[in-house]
This record gives sequence, structure tokens and C-alpha cells, in this order.
Amino acid sequence: MTTMILRRLIQLPLILLAIYTITLALAWAVPGSPVENPDRRPKPEVIEQMEKQYNLDSFWKFYVSYLDSATGFEYARDRLSGRIAQDQRLAEAAGQPAPVRPIFNLGPSLEYDDWTVNEIVSGALPVSITLGAAAMLIALVIGVGAGVVGAVKPNSIADFATLSVALVGISLPSFVIGTVLLLVFSLLVAWFPVAGWGSPRAIVLPAVTLSLPFAAYIARLTRMGMIDALGADFIRTARAKGAAEASVLFKHALKNAFLPVLSFLGPATALAMTGSFIVERVFTVPGIGQHFVNGVQNKDLFLIMGVVLVFATMLILFNLAVDVLYRWIDPRIEA
Amino acid sequence: MLRLLLPVILLLGLVGFSVVTDRSAPRADFTFINRGDVNTLDPQRMSWMQDLRVARLLFEGLVQNDVMSADFGIVPAIAESWSVSDDGLIWTFNLREDAKWNNGEPVTAEDFRYSWRRAMLPDLASDYVKMFLVIKGAQDFYDRRQAALEAFTEREFASGKEREAAAEQLWVDTQSWFDEMVGVRAPDPRTLVVTLKQPVPYFLDLAAFAVFYPVYQPLVERYERPDPVTARLIRRPGWTKPGVLVSNGPFELTEWRFKRDMRLEANPHWWNKDSLAIGSIDIPSVNDPNATTLAYQTGTVDWVSDVTAPYRGDMIADKQDFYAEHADLVARLRASEPDQFAVDRKLPDDPRKHIHAIPAFGTYFYNFNCKPLLPDGRPNPFHDARVRRAFAMCIDKQAIADEVRRLGEPAADQLIPPGSIGGYTSPKGLPNVGQAASEAERDAIVDQARALLVEADFPMDLVVELLFNKDSGHDLIGQAIAKNWQEFLGVQTRLAQKEIKIFREDLKNKQYMTARAGWYGDYGDPTTFLYVNYSTDGNNDRAYNNPDYDALLDRAARELDPAKRMELLRQAEELMLFEAPLVPIFYYANVQLFDAAKLTGLTPHPRSKNNLFLVDILGDGRGADVPQDMRPPAPEITR
Repeated sequence: MTTMILRRLIQLPLILLAIYTITLALAWAVPGSPVENPDRRPKPEVIEQMEKQYNLDSFWKFYVSYLDSATGFEYARDRLSGRIAQDQRLAEAAGQPAPVRPIFNLGPSLEYDDWTVNEIVSGALPVSITLGAAAMLIALVIGVGAGVVGAVKPNSIADFATLSVALVGISLPSFVIGTVLLLVFSLLVAWFPVAGWGSPRAIVLPAVTLSLPFAAYIARLTRMGMIDALGADFIRTARAKGAAEASVLFKHALKNAFLPVLSFLGPATALAMTGSFIVERVFTVPGIGQHFVNGVQNKDLFLIMGVVLVFATMLILFNLAVDVLYRWIDPRIEA
Repeated sequence: MLRLLLPVILLLGLVGFSVVTDRSAPRADFTFINRGDVNTLDPQRMSWMQDLRVARLLFEGLVQNDVMSADFGIVPAIAESWSVSDDGLIWTFNLREDAKWNNGEPVTAEDFRYSWRRAMLPDLASDYVKMFLVIKGAQDFYDRRQAALEAFTEREFASGKEREAAAEQLWVDTQSWFDEMVGVRAPDPRTLVVTLKQPVPYFLDLAAFAVFYPVYQPLVERYERPDPVTARLIRRPGWTKPGVLVSNGPFELTEWRFKRDMRLEANPHWWNKDSLAIGSIDIPSVNDPNATTLAYQTGTVDWVSDVTAPYRGDMIADKQDFYAEHADLVARLRASEPDQFAVDRKLPDDPRKHIHAIPAFGTYFYNFNCKPLLPDGRPNPFHDARVRRAFAMCIDKQAIADEVRRLGEPAADQLIPPGSIGGYTSPKGLPNVGQAASEAERDAIVDQARALLVEADFPMDLVVELLFNKDSGHDLIGQAIAKNWQEFLGVQTRLAQKEIKIFREDLKNKQYMTARAGWYGDYGDPTTFLYVNYSTDGNNDRAYNNPDYDALLDRAARELDPAKRMELLRQAEELMLFEAPLVPIFYYANVQLFDAAKLTGLTPHPRSKNNLFLVDILGDGRGADVPQDMRPPAPEITR
């Protein structure tokens, strides 16, 4: 187990480097200058100097300098050489606020003058994590419940009904489901707010919308796993020794049927936490998904790279966490 | 079994923790959805309407527009009085004694000097630097700093330390250049003397523009340091955040969460705080057009500044139905009430009347590329004004306004919305197929246009390309225009739809034949529209180059007599419309949602500039609780 974790942690920077390189190359190829404002343009010579200042005048200069600051090497170097302490002293002497030096410096946002990418990400990520976690919670409850119901009586009406709902959950796009939920529960009966974030009630509709495709998938995984498990010898044994039906279902069968769900849970949770752009937009949730799209639209290189790196790191760590959980729940699996 | 539940427990804990820690503040007195998210709260860096709108709440300039008067006149703000020399060059502003920053410090003339200097620095890349260049010496100062910065990057230095010191020194020198060169002086803390390069009759209107508003020097200068590599002044973000920002306007910033919400509270140090009828303002960030409308309909917000939902045309049609149901009353009210909001206020309560289409200070138009050659090196037929004129005449503008846009926007004959600028008479535009009274008249216009094409030897095998960006219905307008040109002129067309960034890049590089465009005026003078066609202007996307046009604008710039000056500008617009580097299609309307019976202080003036500190919720017992209407009659916006 420890070797597995260690191996995965060593892989992490390599995978990130590959993602970083590919993303930057693609983002760099987007036409237009990142420092330009749409309608009223600064003079060409000003643009040239701004590009120089942000290392945007050469791909490799940007590649190296951004990697340096985003991975914390720059911070470590400045800390060791005493530069950070010196800057702080200088600022103090001049009556200036000490410069904020995050360890992983993701750079300034070129589009939003007043914000750094670190500020943007740290403001939006908790929102997305909460929304994603709530959605996965709902997906688990709905999905496992529906899966078990379907597996207990395969091909019954209940099974057919849950599978149909699952099919709808997978095939209907979330902006349709979201808009319908909004119309019914916010406008018609006014149980939930139309937009915004910051109250438990505001989480419900976006979380439900986000959860449906995941719930549908989990339902099918659970159903298949349960049908397999219920046909297995150990279940017959459990029944033969007189175990209660509930105990057979949940203690014996579900434990085995849950394993494929668990392995799906890792990437799904990461996806729910970062890939909720459409749901965020429909319900006006201030999450991180919008920054992927806005970053690319504005060619805000720092923002694109920042959110991609954070997302990639999250995805890798979640997969690792699931693998650890997996082995813990089912010790038969060896590293 | 417990092990199985662990993922569930983990997720539950996460959600619970966040719900407990992340709570929103109670509702503010006034909540509105802005045009878009605020990009920056640094006035000198602003260029977006939503930023400027918030800037007028947080900061206060020398003077302000009286947004409730039909002529949008200038009234005192931080300056209690001012005077101008006979030659129109020297403006002296006397600052109020009780003007204070929200930390209690007095607002001084030096604050304005400092802020205007920031705007004039190439380092800051202010989008509106051009407005400051009417001040004497500003252009030279800008050029000198820019040249020095360029020279600096070329220079070799023995060490990094030396380079750093040189960058510092250059910054010190730059400040003294400003003192020597630029005509902005502060003889005492309460007097600001501005010397202009040439008389600028609309200078007060510029001073009322938020980019001219002051920032607090002791705060801002702490966040700006010369970059050791390029010597450019680097702006560190941070000073525009709540708790840090020092401002001098009616409100202060108490919360700003990126792309989430912003909250303002009344500034206890504002000299005119007793005039406020609201104590707090919430600006939630809602970008989805549908959610914006729903937020209003569920009572979450009091005002939506820009309704963009695709069904807004239907909402406006519903309001027309509502008007029709009360036709007599509407007619009576319109006869006595010049302000459209006053009419709505006095009509019976009905949700259909909450939508308002207000003429805006902007025009939708199509560009013609005026360069002699096309991007691929072929000769450009649109270089010939006759070709442009022929194409301009054959766009059915009225049909586009009525059937494609459906917002009640007037078809446009001129670039400058008529009636939006006091003292300016619009010239006549080109004849247009859309406004022909009869079939015969329309055929005559088409024949005239076709004759122009023959005269100009237009290559009929050329495929005319229409460039526009995706979204916002530009595709529908492009299709309508293409169809007009095919039908009336018999030319072939191709629609080129591109991503906004690529679209802008193509415009800048003149990689197009014809392209959609739009322009909103910034200040109350025709030049705010006319300069976009000046040959050397940075916004001249058409590469239009007519020495006669430039000369008319130059002459107007030197003309001291206001009436004569306006006449020169009128001639310039007339010439430009005839030469048709662009063809105006329609004047924008701004669509808003609010209940005129509940909310007052919003202006129906076509200058599209609201001073939200005037807002009063009627019947809440705060402020005067009396409706504020436009006085005297708002100008009629008709062709």
C-alpha cells in the first residue's frame, strides 16, 4: 500500500508536466493577444512592453517562468536566498503592505485586473467542491437505492422504472433539467432561490441537477453488481445459515456490488467538482467551472493554466484517494 | 459496513462544513444586476459600462452630469465652483472644503493631479488615455515616458542591482517631467488649475467621466512599483478590495467576492450623505440571461440594468398589449408626462409594465474595409466610396429593427443617435430601401445603387464576405443583410462567423470586406462618435482615410464658437455618411426591468448613464419618497 502511494506520488509531477505542456501549447495557439482589451486597444508599443513584462513575448520564456512560479520553485529559491524576508523588510521600512507571496503562484489574471489567479481559484474552488460533494451525495443515495431496488426484482416494474429514470438522467442535458427545476421549484412554488450561493437552500437545485447523470450511472453499476452478487454462492450460504434478508442484501451483497461504484466515485467526484460549468451558469453558482471557459475565451493564459493545473492535481489526488479506500474496504486487492 | 459508509460520511462532512461557514449577508436596501461582472475598481483602468457605473457610486469627480435633466447638464460635485478663461484653455476648479475620503481625510487638488498622472502613463495602458491628451503637455509627457521605457529595455546593465536602481531613478524623473510638462497644477489643496492644449467645450463632460475620478494616493502608490526588468510601473492587485479600498464617493465597498457578489454601504464621510435614500446596495453576479430575468420576477433583485434573455422581444410585445388595454389612459398620460417611467408609474399595477426599452447612446453598424487592397492582395472594390454607398443604400434597416431585433429600436440613418446631444443637429443620411414609401420609390433607390456599382466597375463575380462574431444574434442580422444585397444588388455573399477574439483580431488587421460593429458614446459631444473614423484613430477599424474629413474635425477642434463648431461637426458627419465607410443599421435600445411605481431615480435619458446614488425606494419611509422625473421633457428620439 505504501509503495503504491509513493509510486503514485512520484508519477504526479510527471503527469502534471505533460498536462502543462500540452495545455500551454494549445492555449498559446489561440489567436489574439492576451493583454489586449476588446474595444479600446492600447498602442502597439504598450502591448509589446506588457507582453515583455509578463514573459508573453516568447513561448519558452513563459513556459519556464510560469512553471517556476506555479510549482513553488521560485518561492523556495527566494525563501532560501532571503529575498522574501528582504522584500518584507523593505516594504515595512517604506510603509508598504508586505507583498503577498503564495507558495504556488499561479500569476495575475490578465482579464480581471484586480485579481490574482490564486485569489480566483481559492474563492471558487470551495464552492465547486461543496456543490460537487453535495451532488455526489445525492447521486449515491439515489443511485444505490435505485440499483438495489432494481436488482432485488430484476425485470419488474420497479426495475424498469428506475432504469428509465436513469436513462433520462444520462441523456437529458443538464441545462434542460436545470431550467425545468428552476421553473417548477423556484418560480412556480418558490421553495428555492433562483440564483446565488450562500444558503443551504441555494445548494439543493444545482446539486440535484448535477447529480442526475452520476446517479443514473451509479444505479446501473449497483444493479449489475447486485445481480451478480445475489447469484453468488456466498449469498446462498448466508441465506442458508438463516441471515435476515436485509442483512443479506446490505451486508453481504452490497459490499461486493459497491466496489465498481467506488472506483467510479473517484473520477466522478473530481468531475462533479470541476466540470459543472453549465449547472453553475444556469443556477449562477460562483464555482470554478466558468473560469475554464472564460479563461479560454479571453485567452487569459495565467487563468487557463492555473485552473487546469489545479483541476489536474485534484483529479490525480482523488483517484489516489479512491484507490487507497478501495484497498482498505477490500483487502483482497493487493498493490 | 462502516467502511462502506466512509465516502458518504466524508462527502456529508464537506457539505456540512461549507454550509455552516459560508453564509450570505441580509438583503440590501437596493439590489441590482449589473450589465456584467466588474472587471476592475481602479477608475483609471476602467472601460466597461458596468465598472464605470460602480465607480460613480464609490468615487466622486470634480463635477457630475445631472442625469435627470434633459440636457444632461453639469452640476457641482467635489468642485463647488469653476471658471474658464476667455480663450477656453484654462479651467480653474474650486474644491469643496467638506469633501472627504471614507477614512476622513480631505480630498485635495493633489489627489486629482496624482490620479490624472496615473491615467497619462503608458505603463497603466489606460483605455481612455486619449481623453487626457487634450490637456496641455500630456501627449509629450506620454511620449517621453514611452520613449524612455523603450530605451530602458534596450540598455545593458552591469548588474541586476544597477538595473533596479536605474528603473527607480527613471520613475523619479518621470514624476518631475509631469510637474514640468503637464498643465495640471494644484496651487493650493482646494484649487485645481487645468490648462488645455486646445479649447474643449465638452471638458466638463470629460471631468464627469469616471476615469477622471480621483484615487487615494497614499494607498495606491503603495501598490505600484517600477518593474526591475522593464522599468514599467507594475500594479499589484489588492488595493481595490473591501477593507483596503479608500474612496470618496457616496458609498464604500464592504464586500467583493469575485464573480459572486459585491456590497456597498453608505459612506459616513461623504459630504452629501443626507441626500441618500438607500443605505446599502447589493450587486449579485448573475450572468445567465434567463436567470437574470427570473431573479427579477421572483423579487430577488429590484433592477436589471440589461435584459438579454432571448424572449425579451416578447416581453416588450406583452407591454404593448398592456398599453393597448389601457389605450385612453396611456394617451392621456403621455400628453402630460414626458418621462416614460412616469407614465408607467401611473398605470394600473401589472407585471407586464416592468420592462422598459430605453434609447441608448449607441449605434449598431456595418464596417466596410476601405483599404485599397483586400487581405489576399486583390484590389478592394470597397475602397471606392460609390460601391460602399450602393451597398449602404440596399440594407433594409427598418426590417432588421422590426423583424430581427424586435426591441422597438429605431432604424439608423446617422452614426450619432439624433437628439442625444444638446445643440447638435443631425445631417441627413443616405436614401435607404427600408424607408421607401412605395414600391416605385424603392425601385428607384435600387436602380440608383446598381448604377453606382456599374459606374465603379464593381466585379460582379466577387463573393462579398460578411464578418461577424458568434452570439447575440449577429448571425441573424448578417443573414438579413446578405439577403438584401443578393436581392437588390445581385451580388454573391458569404457569411463568416468567428469567435469573438478572432473576430477582433481580423478587424484590427483589416482581414475582412464587411463586418458588424457597434459604438457607444462616452461623453456628450459628437466627437465621441466622429473620431472613430479619423484616419489615425486607434478605433478606425475601417482604415477610412479622408483628409477632408480629418480637416473638418481639426477645424472643429480649433473653433471657439460653439454653434459654428457644431456646424463643422455636422458637416463632418454628413460627409462621412455620404462616403459610407460604415453604414448605420439601428440605434441600440437598453432593456431594463424594474417597477417604476416602486423605484425612482433611474433616468430614461439616451445617454445611458445612471447615477444610482439617486435611487429611492418609494414608500419605504427613507429619503424623500417622491418620484423623480426627467425635467424638462426628455428629447424625443426619432429619425
